[in-house]
Amino acid sequence: MKQRGLAVYAFCALAFLHLPLLILVAFSFNANRFTVWEGFSLRWYQAALSDPQLAAGLLNSLIIAGIAGVLSTIIGTLAAYGMWRRAAPVLSGTLYLSLVTPEIVTGVSLLALFQGVFRFLHLHLGLWTVIIAHVAFSIAYVTLVLSARLRGYDRSLEEAALDLGASPWHAFTRVTLPVLAPAIAAAGLLALVVSFDDYVITSLVAGVDSETLPMVIYAMARRGVSPVVNAVSALIVVGFSVIILISQRLQNQ
Amino acid sequence: MALFFLLPLVIVFACSLLTRGDYGGVEQPWTLESYLRILDPLYLAIFWRSLWIATVATALCSLLGFPLALFVARAGKRRNLYLQLVLLPFWTSFLVRTYAWLFILRDTGLVNTVLLRMHLIAGPLPLLYNDGAVLLGLVYNFLPFFVLPVYAALERLDPALAEAAADLGARPWPVLWRVIVPLSAPGIMAGAVLLFIPCLGAYLIPDLLGGGKTVMLGNLVQNQFTTARDWPFGSAASLVLMLLSALVLAGLVRSRVARELL
Amino acid sequence: MKSHRVPRRWFLASAGAALGCSQDTRPRLNAYNWSTYIDPAMLARFESEHGVSVRYGTYESNEEMLAKVMTGNSGWDVVFPTHSRLAPMARNGLIAPLDHKRLPSLGNLDPRFQRPEWDINLQWGLPYMWNATGVVYNREQVAEPRGWADLWNPALRGRLTMLDDAEDVIGACLQKSGAPFGSIDARQLQTAKADAVRQKGLLRAYLNAEVRDQLIAGDVLAGQLWSTTAAQAMAASPKIGFVFPIEGYPLYCDCAVILHESSRYELAHEFLEFLLRPDVAAANARVGETATANAAARALLPHNPVLYPEASVYRRGVWPSALPSAAQRYRDRLWTEIKSA
Repeated sequence: MKQRGLAVYAFCALAFLHLPLLILVAFSFNANRFTVWEGFSLRWYQAALSDPQLAAGLLNSLIIAGIAGVLSTIIGTLAAYGMWRRAAPVLSGTLYLSLVTPEIVTGVSLLALFQGVFRFLHLHLGLWTVIIAHVAFSIAYVTLVLSARLRGYDRSLEEAALDLGASPWHAFTRVTLPVLAPAIAAAGLLALVVSFDDYVITSLVAGVDSETLPMVIYAMARRGVSPVVNAVSALIVVGFSVIILISQRLQNQ
Repeated sequence: MALFFLLPLVIVFACSLLTRGDYGGVEQPWTLESYLRILDPLYLAIFWRSLWIATVATALCSLLGFPLALFVARAGKRRNLYLQLVLLPFWTSFLVRTYAWLFILRDTGLVNTVLLRMHLIAGPLPLLYNDGAVLLGLVYNFLPFFVLPVYAALERLDPALAEAAADLGARPWPVLWRVIVPLSAPGIMAGAVLLFIPCLGAYLIPDLLGGGKTVMLGNLVQNQFTTARDWPFGSAASLVLMLLSALVLAGLVRSRVARELL
Repeated sequence: MKSHRVPRRWFLASAGAALGCSQDTRPRLNAYNWSTYIDPAMLARFESEHGVSVRYGTYESNEEMLAKVMTGNSGWDVVFPTHSRLAPMARNGLIAPLDHKRLPSLGNLDPRFQRPEWDINLQWGLPYMWNATGVVYNREQVAEPRGWADLWNPALRGRLTMLDDAEDVIGACLQKSGAPFGSIDARQLQTAKADAVRQKGLLRAYLNAEVRDQLIAGDVLAGQLWSTTAAQAMAASPKIGFVFPIEGYPLYCDCAVILHESSRYELAHEFLEFLLRPDVAAANARVGETATANAAARALLPHNPVLYPEASVYRRGVWPSALPSAAQRYRDRLWTEIKSA
């Protein structure tokens, strides 16, 4: 009885989350440039697929989110584990501070830091400065999610493994890591999404060669120029849906 | 690693103590002026308002997000699928999602058109450009920040625990309240933190869905670093904002409620 | 600086290779511009004509661009600041003076932009695109407004918008009561603020380009808007009209400048000279439906009185200049007060 109520509620919540998606998919097929329905058309998809800036932005975003997501998940997991084993007030303090810093401030201060250092090294902003920035702000998300999970984790499991002669590394990889896997996956996903969608920090630390998809979309949307952004978003949603379905299939097998 | 996080903060702190450069940036001499300016009732009111909105948004998000996280965590084999479904909208750009909401809420938008056609209302409802629209935007955009940590905490809970309680005659609500919520408290705390802070610093949602008719802390800080070109005041305001968030966090963690839950 | 060039190249190349970027051996030019200000086909043409590659990036505000180029180590060669930023940028040594010998097509510019008041000898910036701020309205439901004062009409309550921009809103309030757009007089500014607060009760919202769709759909009946955005709305719907306020209105011109840090001074000039070609300038203006500063290009474009006001109307326009620091700060405070009211 209660389960069914929960399922109905979850269905409604998912509908709420997906409503804007339906809207933008609908308008991506609109022949009119503005949000006034005129007729069915695929012209925006044609425009989206033939735009080299969008393609370059998507590639950059995937590279950045991929590398930054993996790196911050690893570092964040280790940091959470380390803080769980032994209290590290300085580390946890700075992590929480990076969490409470407004985006624009993170962006401006990182820009100032990079440019201060680069002046001496004669380096320029680029893809890798964006990756560093993304790792920097997503570590805290990963750590926080995992710390919450670890707080409920029974220390005795690992101690038992150690008592049985396992090395600390072995105990971590064979005992703790499998238990944490779902939480790590959730934290990593959060890091990926945050990195893939970030605009404020990225636009500040991006260099000559590192325009990301959100930056391209912002440029198109803020000037209110074209429903191409709807077509792009629809394509992204469909792309990720396919990936999700495939991975689900693979898991079930 | 700590150094890498601390260095930018040191830069911000130094900025906040310097004088505004004519075209952005900072100049000598050192001064406390930026901090004194924050004590102005005008800015204090903005702080207060932002805290209030962020608190309401966090509360709403927790109420809406917890059952969803519970559902996903209990979905067994399908939980990864549901988790992905929760996240799916967030792979599209934030701006595109928000524009979709503009279309849903405006006078000639989806909700008003449907209600008008059904003759449920006489004229369009003012759904856009008010606090309600801002709250909706905040809840919508930050919901995954709450659902994911809570899911991570709930996922470990053995369903047998709830079943055992039920077998012993406990009714569903007390089981939820006495067993499930306390055991997932760390996740709820983490989620609330991940939610509250970006809500406090949000500026695009108040601009786009609130019509820019009110100033939130995020707008104030953003404005100092952009059009107003007053980096010292922007830095000072953001440091106060960070201090405030840190205090709220510490208060939350230390509070009696939290200790009972934990 | 020169002696470090080799290791830097080497490092960048290896970093690029490490990230899997393709290597392009053609000389490159890095141009950083507002979005929708250039036709991608024209970039391709420049690339093939000169055997170079152009890395083109876009920004949404002067401040975003300035934050990067301010340290003189951004990597960009050509950027497009608004006219009022030229003097401060030049004073900070950020831009290199233009070499007119390398720009033989300067004569293509509209006479208005041959000797502009903000850069009388065209020493720093090449005028590129320009626009104005005025009043947009729905012809079917609102009588034609004459100026800013009509935006205080109580009949528009809830269906009126102003730009979300301190300079434009405060400037319009000042001009409404006869003060100059860039006034720094405290009493005039206080009057302007009181007017803005009074108007806020009638306002639907402070919106920029987002208002366009709501104008077309009929949610918004009148408001303050940029001429280029208004022209887009008018092209989509015949019921939209635009007027240049009787009390005066601001004009803005975005100019191409070569950064002092650039090591590609010659190529940058070739790019600017390319932008001056009539057919290129016309194509670039067509892409975003913006107003070109190039008279020869204008002859190739359809006449549009919203983008290119008549001489008598043009005369009412003012070119705002950068405000002194203290005045800027005072205005920012007023803006915060208006927004919090």
